[in-house]
Amino acid sequence: MTPESSSSAEAEKVVKKEHCENHANCMKLIQMALDGEASPEELEHVRQNLGNCLPCNRGYNLEKAIKQALQLRVEQKAVPQSLVDCIKSKIHEL
Amino acid sequence: MTADEFIAVRQYTESEKYAIFDRELMPHIQSMYNFAFRLTQDEDDANDLVQDTYLKAFRFINSFEKGTNAKAWLFRILKNSFINDYRRKSKEPNKVDYQEVETYYDSEEMAGTSQTTDLRAETVQELLGDEVTNALNALPIDFRTVLILCDVEGFTYEEMAKILDIPIGTVRSRLHRARMLLKEKLKTYATHMGYDTSERSEDEESL
Ligand SMILES: [Zn+2]
Repeated sequence: MTPESSSSAEAEKVVKKEHCENHANCMKLIQMALDGEASPEELEHVRQNLGNCLPCNRGYNLEKAIKQALQLRVEQKAVPQSLVDCIKSKIHEL
Repeated sequence: MTADEFIAVRQYTESEKYAIFDRELMPHIQSMYNFAFRLTQDEDDANDLVQDTYLKAFRFINSFEKGTNAKAWLFRILKNSFINDYRRKSKEPNKVDYQEVETYYDSEEMAGTSQTTDLRAETVQELLGDEVTNALNALPIDFRTVLILCDVEGFTYEEMAKILDIPIGTVRSRLHRARMLLKEKLKTYATHMGYDTSERSEDEESL
């Protein structure tokens, strides 16, 4: 975090609202934004909510952390070379 | 298999078929194997499923337009093979009827409680890969599938709609529900593993 972003976060904390009237809907938009599937209007809406709503902020950070965990920390199984060889030889037998 | 799945769009020569297979289909075998393993949760079944999928792909390669989205095409064949040939005999622990689950999580009440989960981003960041993997594996298969396709494999909603043969709106809502369920699982894991899931300040943190 850069110095200016943490200090501005401190300043914003005072004015951010504690309750989100439309949180279920906000979370849908936040997920679409993180998935790269939100329209420019929807992105703008999310950006505004992140600036002035604490529950939306927490929700965004949580969804982002979960998405990153799935992207980067889910165990990957190396494909066995025997499977690759087997498929190739079966194809050439056809 | 849906009817339009293997309609020939081209007539490739024998050498073209092999070239397409090697250059466009085989490069996705690592992702395919991972997807198969996530679905079957069994190495032997994953092997068979990937092999069946690639043999089917080669047999019907005339229905693949060269230079288009080979990964999505292969994933769709694999998913359909899994449903048709493996799902019935698989060791799937979550034999929950999808419709039932969807209806359950559709209720406003359920949506409301799941939205207010107090799981923290910092807690998720502390979880180990194994714990994240276990939480994902514990989800019913349809929810697990959308998370794998979207977050692990990075498919777009449109690609997912094609792979799963469902409308984009259903992709969106299924993903949303999958994430609610995953949050609950992660929260349970975090609590069991002794991660502090409550609010705390930096100076309370100790080893
Ligand atoms: Zn909000």
